[in-house]
Amino acid sequence: MPEASSTPPGTLGSKILRRGRRTVLGMDPQKLIKNFFGANSSIAIIVLVLIMVFLLREGAGFLSTYHHELETYRKAGLEFCDIADTPLKQQQTMASSLRRALSIEMEPLVKTARERRDAAFLFKRAHDEKNSEGTAAFDASTLFTSEEKNQLKAELAALTPESTDLPATLQKLAAEFATKDREAKTKFKTIIEAEETFEEAAEPVAEILDELKTHATETKEAANEFHTLEAGRQQLLAAAASATGSEKADLLKEAELSKVEEPKYAERVETLLEKREDLVKALGDYVTAVEEAAKSLQSSSTHPEAAQLIASVEKAIPTHLADIQKASKDLTAWKWDEPVSFFRAVSSFAFGTGWITNSSWQDFYGVLPLLTGSLLISFVALFIATPISVTAAIYTNQFASEREKELIKPVIEFIQAIPSVVLGFIGIAVVGDLIKGFSQWEFLSWIPGFPIQERLNIFNAGFLLAFMAVPTMFSLSEDALNNVPRAYSEASDALGATKLQTVFRVIVPAAISGILSAILLGLGRVIGETMVVLLVAGNRIAIPDFSDGLGAIFQPAHTLTGIIAQELGEVSRGSSHWQALFMVGILLFVISLSVNWCARTIAKRFEHPKA
Amino acid sequence: MKHAITALIVSLLASASLQAQSTLRIRGSDTLGAKLIPSLAESFKKTGGKVSFDIAAEGSSTAFTNLASGTAEIGMSSRKVKADEKTLCRSKGIDLNEIELAWDMITVVANKNNPVADLSKKQIMQIFAGDITDWSEVGGTPGPISVYTRNTSSGTYKDFMTMAMKGREYGKNSQKMAGNEQIASEVGSNANGIGYIGYAYAGAKGVKIVSIGGSAPNPAAVKDYVLSRPVFLYTNGQPAGNVKAFVDFCLSPAGNAVIAKGGFVAVK
Repeated sequence: MPEASSTPPGTLGSKILRRGRRTVLGMDPQKLIKNFFGANSSIAIIVLVLIMVFLLREGAGFLSTYHHELETYRKAGLEFCDIADTPLKQQQTMASSLRRALSIEMEPLVKTARERRDAAFLFKRAHDEKNSEGTAAFDASTLFTSEEKNQLKAELAALTPESTDLPATLQKLAAEFATKDREAKTKFKTIIEAEETFEEAAEPVAEILDELKTHATETKEAANEFHTLEAGRQQLLAAAASATGSEKADLLKEAELSKVEEPKYAERVETLLEKREDLVKALGDYVTAVEEAAKSLQSSSTHPEAAQLIASVEKAIPTHLADIQKASKDLTAWKWDEPVSFFRAVSSFAFGTGWITNSSWQDFYGVLPLLTGSLLISFVALFIATPISVTAAIYTNQFASEREKELIKPVIEFIQAIPSVVLGFIGIAVVGDLIKGFSQWEFLSWIPGFPIQERLNIFNAGFLLAFMAVPTMFSLSEDALNNVPRAYSEASDALGATKLQTVFRVIVPAAISGILSAILLGLGRVIGETMVVLLVAGNRIAIPDFSDGLGAIFQPAHTLTGIIAQELGEVSRGSSHWQALFMVGILLFVISLSVNWCARTIAKRFEHPKA
Repeated sequence: MKHAITALIVSLLASASLQAQSTLRIRGSDTLGAKLIPSLAESFKKTGGKVSFDIAAEGSSTAFTNLASGTAEIGMSSRKVKADEKTLCRSKGIDLNEIELAWDMITVVANKNNPVADLSKKQIMQIFAGDITDWSEVGGTPGPISVYTRNTSSGTYKDFMTMAMKGREYGKNSQKMAGNEQIASEVGSNANGIGYIGYAYAGAKGVKIVSIGGSAPNPAAVKDYVLSRPVFLYTNGQPAGNVKAFVDFCLSPAGNAVIAKGGFVAVK
């Protein structure tokens, strides 16, 4: 090796170049460089650990805060009110079914009158807005005779901007409808009376409950104020203990100012307990009244749908009354100072079915509806993305020519570059209306859930997320297929298999572990996606109604990621809501970690020796 | 090389002097912050105020959390401050000062082609609380009702709950949209939709106003409408300096003209 010209031994240059095997800074330079690269890779691990620590620190206080809130919920008497209130809510569903049954029954009698009235009003609006489509529809409608049409047009033409009354024809049609409506209602008196009895029966109970609720809310506000200010006062006292002189005096004065009395729970609850007997008696009266009303409900209706609704109400009444009886017993047995177990806080977070925040009554942090939303959207996305990405990978790797490969691979991988918010925007502006339009087609009405009601729903979000997951799953599957040793395909060829047989019986099974882990990694990607689901999933915090079977995927839902994005702006640091959101974040973190861990384990277990 | 360094120093000084122009950070309600406050800010700047504005409208609740943490000078809220928010600010040493800016009318809107044009207050409560689930129950064409509300950080969400629903929670089948425009667009495209928005947004395409027990929102008679509510600006203590200049402008006749044009009703 030629000597470099100007590096005599003993200079810095020779030291750096390791001439004469000298060391730099007491260390071998090669080792130095190795340690530098090692440090960079451990930075990633350290940052991950720091993130976990931060999440745990913020969210870990949640369970004890929520436990304290549930204790206040009990001590202030809100639980007492809810015991009576919750079963009463079922009554509303039953009354609603009765109203619907009534309108179905009345439909044949009032249909024509109502349609004429509605068409005339729509025509007036079309005329006002100079909408030619609406006017054409009116001209073509068969509901009116031509004299009526001409008269209405003449009246509308004669309208001046100052006239506040409706044209005579419209008034006549509205009156016609009102008369028909009244006539029909006299025919179905029994149903109307039953529905009215329902609503009136609940009123005495509701009155008592309203009073109790106001009282309980006042206690709760006093308890919360005490809790916040007391925490601040303790901080001031602690600071005063370590301060001196005038500062100490100032801090002590501030502490005195923020002193607030803790509400006397026993006294406050007394007012509620005094009304307990009245409440139980009112519930008993309610039960009697409903039983009376139920007797007069006959399913003598002709229309099958109405008969079904009334039958369902009749079936629901005994369960409802049993719930009310149980509520009366619970009310009598309720004790304000019974301790709330810590497990209750955990289970009402993990299995609670209501996530209600910023409520004037009580906040509940139940994560189940969000979890079901996230899981449903992820599964819909996987269901759409897996066939597309895996078959594309098999084609690209095994069957495509070089030119096709050069086209397909970059294009699919380019999809990864599309920002998620752009996809969300496309979802709102285009995909939602498209899907809703498809669902209105007659020949597709056999699909469960069609015609769909909401254009922002689980399927919409799943569809877009599938689009986002395809590049990840495609690249990883393609790598897995590439890693199958050539010896396998050569051996298969030697045994006389066709190309198709080789691909589907040898190569794909050999790569199956890689493909599975690709799918799992796609799942991990999709579960954590925020922007798309926030814009497109519909934001309804409720477990979807599975009575339609698979049609549930066309309903809106909310997700774990979406709720964090939506609510983080309004929470004050350190409040229970803040901590609840961090708990949701921890849950997401755990889900992603476990999905990724599964993927790696599967990939490792089925690794074949590198030939 | 010398010229490069001089140019660098000059540009740094120039940008530093630009930063010296103060920024007014305004956080809070979407009803106010989407259109009204930005137009007030524009008009204020035209009258010569040397202030730059940083406005973010994510819901009235964010006004108080930002004021409490010191990241905003003015909070805009479409509802009154809650007791626990007052306590929070007090514990962080912030003295909340409330300024009534204007009156807003919360308008209930339905799809343009919906024959229902009037609902009683009780029916509205039952629809939004989930008791009434079908349009046929209120005299419309049979079809399930799609309820659109704001989300929990919104002041309009809270006000509607208190004023129109007697404090009852929304039904669990309601969908929580991020702002007035989204509600208007969903109701406008869904024949079975119903929702509530500020009066300033009621002219959107595809929606029509539903009168409540015969009373329709009318800017000339604000206090007669059932769902009228005042909207507020909150500051830390009495306003001073740039904050005072902006607030005085909003309450001046010039500001009132902008407020009226924005679909709100100025405080007389």
